[in-house]
Amino acid sequence: MMDELMEILEELRPDVDFANETKLITDGILDSFDIVALVGELNDAFDIEIKPNNLVPDNFNSAKAMLALIEELQDE
Amino acid sequence: METSVLCRLNSAVEKYGDKIAYKDPENSLTFSQFNDLTRSIGTYLARLVPAGAPVVVMSGRHIFTPACFLGVVRAGCFYAPMDGDMPVTRLNQILGVIKADYMLVDKAHLDIAQGLEFRGTIFVMEDIIDYPVSDELLEQREKTLICTSPLYVIFTSGSTGVPKGVITSHQSLMTYIDSVSKVLDINDTDVLGNQSPLDYIAAIRDIYFPISRGASTFVIPKNEFAVPTALFETLNREKITALCWSVAGVELPAKLGAFDVLKPEYLKKLCFSGSVMPCKYLKIWQENLPDVLYVNQYGPTEATASCTYYVVKEKVDDDTVLPIGTPYDNYRVTLLTEDNKPVATGETGEICVSGPILALGYYGNAGYTEKAFIQNPLNPNYRELIYRTGDLGSFDENGILHFHGRMDRQIKHLGHRIELGEIEEAARKIDGVVDCCSLYNKPKEHLYLFYTGDATSKDIVLSFRKNMPAFMVPRKLVNLDKLPTLPNGKIDMQTLKTYFK
Repeated sequence: MMDELMEILEELRPDVDFANETKLITDGILDSFDIVALVGELNDAFDIEIKPNNLVPDNFNSAKAMLALIEELQDE
Repeated sequence: METSVLCRLNSAVEKYGDKIAYKDPENSLTFSQFNDLTRSIGTYLARLVPAGAPVVVMSGRHIFTPACFLGVVRAGCFYAPMDGDMPVTRLNQILGVIKADYMLVDKAHLDIAQGLEFRGTIFVMEDIIDYPVSDELLEQREKTLICTSPLYVIFTSGSTGVPKGVITSHQSLMTYIDSVSKVLDINDTDVLGNQSPLDYIAAIRDIYFPISRGASTFVIPKNEFAVPTALFETLNREKITALCWSVAGVELPAKLGAFDVLKPEYLKKLCFSGSVMPCKYLKIWQENLPDVLYVNQYGPTEATASCTYYVVKEKVDDDTVLPIGTPYDNYRVTLLTEDNKPVATGETGEICVSGPILALGYYGNAGYTEKAFIQNPLNPNYRELIYRTGDLGSFDENGILHFHGRMDRQIKHLGHRIELGEIEEAARKIDGVVDCCSLYNKPKEHLYLFYTGDATSKDIVLSFRKNMPAFMVPRKLVNLDKLPTLPNGKIDMQTLKTYFK
């Protein structure tokens, strides 16, 4: 699943080092338009529904955090 | 009649001295404090910079930036704002057009400024905001300003690959601000929530409503737009009553479901512009906030931000298309056919604008200026310039203007105006790109680049990220063996559009 996520992230922003960044939102590396695009792609790819309450920096600051969110939402 | 925006600042300070004018998460400035900053900056600059000179301002997303702008004006000069987050190549292009000898930066942008192709003098805002004020010098400089003096130069995409600097006068700015204030009833009880980058045209309302109407402006941190619940919490904490946002900004919280969690409780006015509003998102706003005044604005930077407005009184549906309405006070809209003839009611023509709101042209580019700002062909009797917007529109039987898209290849993407030709110019400079065509998939908001050559999509995106503003980076790249052509040899864009997903 991590591979698929990394593929989506790489396509979205090939200039960002998603393997190592841990402050994607806090440091403003991903902007609001990246987030809108990303939420749509993640919902489709992993058959989940990311809710507004999930849209907090902690859930999107790193690829690892995003994976944890996806797994949590898939369990629901 | 007021000679410059300084007349407004001076009266606002007298009337609202201790009221908050600008606020951000770290700081706030009363009208008096703000004015003192502009006077210190103005005095410092006036000693070194000749009146009437352009001063580049590169300062961050905080409330000292408007103080830099007005400080430059206090020195009898005009400002050219630049977003320091833009790639260095882009900043150098802007410097190449404005050819300024002076730049004012905040400390955070000093390193970037020193790395640019700029041989003039750099001033650091933090070093000069306490400079002792000279009333005499400031008065002298204020007297050099007349209402047609340039106030600022704001840069926008140019199809030849070089950004165009649109010059706006004091008179144009004040005319627009007065007209839009009347429609939105902006007054001293209003608190604005600023979304637009401060160097961008859409920020002029947030910057000049305090000075003109005694309102306050809160500068919302950029990353809150990625966290919609935090955004709405901020609107409530700061008791924000009025928003003048790009359509893209208005869409965001609706798209991300922010209303499912909370609502902006103090909001009374929402005015949006920049592109066509998809009403499925406006509907969500209307359903949640039925008592808010919604205003659709239309207009180019060349006519001082907006030229027509439409107050949305009806409840919209998903497929409603909003009219762009009627001209603001002191704006005249004329529709012309391709051969410069008047257009009958209901028929489509090019939207042309005239009035005291017309820009002074494109900085240092008489050729472009003469092409876009022309004598009204319907008026053989006296001098009346009109600006040809390149937009198509029609008037209905009630005199309401409707928008019908562009005549050329300019698009609106994420609230920004982009010439597709500029994307192609940038792509052709990349090693491994032989030929290319850029198109916009509007429903999906995807900027496409079709190209031939050996470059990988990663090569291309990295090059764009390095050289162009983020909103100009193509989202979808399609590598082809050959671009499809029409019998006349031109690129077949309709065939390319079949690649849209």
